[in-house]
Amino acid sequence: MAQVVTIPTRPARIAALNDRYRHHAAIRVLRDALRDPELGRVAMVSSFGADSVALLHMIALVDRDTPVLFVDTQMLFPETLAYQQEVAAKLGLTDVRIIRATPAAIAAADPDGDLNQTNPDACCDLRKTVPLNKALQGFDSWITGRKRFQAASRADIDFFEEDPAGPRIKINPLAHWTAQDVADYIVNNNLPRHPLVSQGYPSIGCAPCTSPVQEGEDPRAGRWRGQQKTECGIHFVNGKLQRIQPAEAEPAEAETAAFEPVDGQPVIVRDSGFAADDFTGEILDLESDTNLDEANVNFREAELIRIAFPSFTDGRGFTIARRLRMAGYKGRLRAHGHVIADQFPMARRSGFDEVEIDADLARRQPWELWKRSSEVAPSYLTRLGRQA
Amino acid sequence: MYHHTEFDRAFVVDRAQRFRDQVQRRISGALTEDEFRPLRLMNGVYLQLHAYMLRIAIPYGTISPDQMRQLAVIADRWDKGYGHFTTRQNIQFNWPKLVDIPDMLDALAEVGMHAIQTSGNTIRNVTADHFAGAAADEIADPRPYAELIRQWSTDHPEFQFLPRKFKIAVSGSPNDRAVVKSHDIGLRMVEKDGESGFEVSVGGGLGRTPLVGKVINEFVPVADLLPYLEAILSAYNSVGRRDNKYKARLKIAVQELGIDHIRELVDERFAEIRPKFDGTDQTILDQIAARFGQPTLVSGRSTADYDAAREADPIFRSWADTNLHAHKHADYAIVTVSLKKHGATPGDATFDQMRVLADLAERFGQGDLRISHEQNVVLPHIHKADLAALHAALREADLGTANLGLISDIIACPGLDYCALATARSIPIAQQIATRFDELKLEHEIGELKIKISGCINACGHHHVGHIGILGLDRAGVENYQVTLGGDGTETMSVGERAGPGFSKDEIIPAIERLVYGYLDVREDASETFLQAYRRLGPEPFKAALYPEKAAA
Ligand code: SF4
Ligand code: SF4
Repeated sequence: MAQVVTIPTRPARIAALNDRYRHHAAIRVLRDALRDPELGRVAMVSSFGADSVALLHMIALVDRDTPVLFVDTQMLFPETLAYQQEVAAKLGLTDVRIIRATPAAIAAADPDGDLNQTNPDACCDLRKTVPLNKALQGFDSWITGRKRFQAASRADIDFFEEDPAGPRIKINPLAHWTAQDVADYIVNNNLPRHPLVSQGYPSIGCAPCTSPVQEGEDPRAGRWRGQQKTECGIHFVNGKLQRIQPAEAEPAEAETAAFEPVDGQPVIVRDSGFAADDFTGEILDLESDTNLDEANVNFREAELIRIAFPSFTDGRGFTIARRLRMAGYKGRLRAHGHVIADQFPMARRSGFDEVEIDADLARRQPWELWKRSSEVAPSYLTRLGRQA
Repeated sequence: MYHHTEFDRAFVVDRAQRFRDQVQRRISGALTEDEFRPLRLMNGVYLQLHAYMLRIAIPYGTISPDQMRQLAVIADRWDKGYGHFTTRQNIQFNWPKLVDIPDMLDALAEVGMHAIQTSGNTIRNVTADHFAGAAADEIADPRPYAELIRQWSTDHPEFQFLPRKFKIAVSGSPNDRAVVKSHDIGLRMVEKDGESGFEVSVGGGLGRTPLVGKVINEFVPVADLLPYLEAILSAYNSVGRRDNKYKARLKIAVQELGIDHIRELVDERFAEIRPKFDGTDQTILDQIAARFGQPTLVSGRSTADYDAAREADPIFRSWADTNLHAHKHADYAIVTVSLKKHGATPGDATFDQMRVLADLAERFGQGDLRISHEQNVVLPHIHKADLAALHAALREADLGTANLGLISDIIACPGLDYCALATARSIPIAQQIATRFDELKLEHEIGELKIKISGCINACGHHHVGHIGILGLDRAGVENYQVTLGGDGTETMSVGERAGPGFSKDEIIPAIERLVYGYLDVREDASETFLQAYRRLGPEPFKAALYPEKAAA
């Protein structure tokens, strides 16, 4: 007997996706979306603008080989281009594709580079929409950083929506984020900010079309100031197809040179990796039961204070470190003994600069583990305004 | 209901991911079992008698219908179809496989739940009054403060490896339903010169050495709360004993060093720490308070149906008499759903029951659900006109037991059926007592009587504060039960006294029966509870009932 197969329409699929992902946090949306057969081949589109780094960081955590499409309108701030390279290298993104309009198209439609003043929609079409649509040909879905709070026209976007410009699905993992969520995320993960943010540009597009925003103004007020335009072509317009010029992907930064632990010699763990001990001066050693209030030591003078962790379950050293920092100690602080990789973020947040372990432990828990554990979760304490 | 921020969501997702990684590393051998142990404990994973156990936090006992449904999914998919609500506002699953736990944590993270710091030597799940925001006698809703404390203590870098576990409870009402004085830190909301703050007590605890907390500071203003707590923890991390795990709790430090010495130490630390808080926590506190949606309470709807149902249906009336509490709005009631059906395991709920509770909370109760430390479920805002329909639906799901505060509303720890430390079984004793008094049809006649049972000296069943406490021990391979009398776990907290020699598992039920008949004989009238009679008469008449041979001799 013949079987009736109903293929759900795109709106139905999108509704089902939104329902299924309803309770997901942003990073979970990303992680699942990248392997959801419903969404097919997925690319991310990023402007490397003011807030982009949050989503880029997440994608790097989930899968740094995800294709990231960056549209260079050739009207961008030089700071944006430099920032794009810095972020891609820092996050280890391996497949950033730079998308541009062809020289022929530009020569034909905007030879003097002033189309943005006479007809900004046509300019966006030429420099963004058309090249991007072309670049998206090989993909079924694309990830954007759009958030509800950004504009009244975005107030009801959801995690998944139809792309009006083509057959694809748009994925908006940050749909429900607030400005504060983004700011928290960037601070807590210690991510580099776009250099123009500190100069009053909370939303950054092309140089001719972006101006700084005054305190209290809507963050997107600086985009297309004085014009009846709030969205650029990428998120709106249905463009005609043209050739594209795919650029070379940025080469990923070389891995830090491997460090081999040597028996009998201490291994120093820092944010930058494992290293041999480079310190040759005098070390002030404190036991885990040191009573700072009674100890007769002038710790302020010490160049390096080393606090013992006789066992990783003995957390007294964390309090000693915090108290030394609160008392104004500015020198080097080292945790010494049985400290495990998962305690690295605790040690760093308690004021330690580094950890000293033996070669055995270093072999069993290689740098990779320390690094992963130091990509720390956001910190409630920082958010609550507790100064280190 | 507290609505989670994106920050909260990202945090739990990250932690679930991290734990998945740690499980991998344990399996690959990068982590030794010794090193894995505290990590799994930080994520609520215990190794029990038969299997791993996963303990999930229900912070300050507040849970949404969606979260409850997700617990049902977990019980159904990864456990044996039920979960066990504990005396600390947690839920435990007793049968997960280690390899499944990362998936369970992911499923929890989807609804903003987690198992972070439900075990290990760190600051545990913060508990609060389960009637918060609804009770008639409340000064302020304690949950925003409990949530602030939860955020501050979560992943606090300095306090993940304390000498021992650390428990904090908050009460917003003079009737202390959160038993704050049995916690390492107990916070009781008070007002002074028009300003809100907390009376702080420290060093309470049950366990092997039951001690009532001592007041360390009569008034800490709200703005100083976090730095003051941090000062206590900092002092404890420095002076708490690490040589003997049974002497490592804060209560022992308070007992050995004296409350004055501890206060001095805390004051010094407070002076160091206070300037490090820049006040952002107070802004966040306001945001948290705003994220607790207020119930919409309607006035003017008739409650005549309720009165009529009381008249018409004696089963409904008896349930309403025991399982309702006064709501701050006269047309509403606080409903406690008993998870203590006669003969069942106290605190257990099946996945079907969890779904029913979630649905009923949405249908009648504004989507608000609570878990009480007495292992029951609370629907805090039910209009009186809806009570009869609610009760009918509960009965259909086998949740209509009318025994709140009565002899069969027993708190019992998991005991030898699950717990690796146990010396005796506790759940079967609870079941037999409940069944016996149900047969005797005496339960409502006896009135308020709290029996609490622990399966070993660690006292997770809080037997010290039961009006009748039962402690199961192992005497040369045979289970033996000691009885304590006169304990009280409320604001008039007292520790029960041992009555005499223990009873075998066959003798204990008849002994409790004699004891209760003895009380019925000596009470002044039906309004005098067991505890009141005990306090009036002292232990002698009760001992005589327990040990008739001796009395006769
Ligand atoms: S933002 Fe301005 S310059 Fe850039 S493409 Fe659009 S209109 Fe043209
Ligand atoms: S009291 Fe003893 S037996 Fe009962 S749960 Fe606690 S440790 Fe286990």
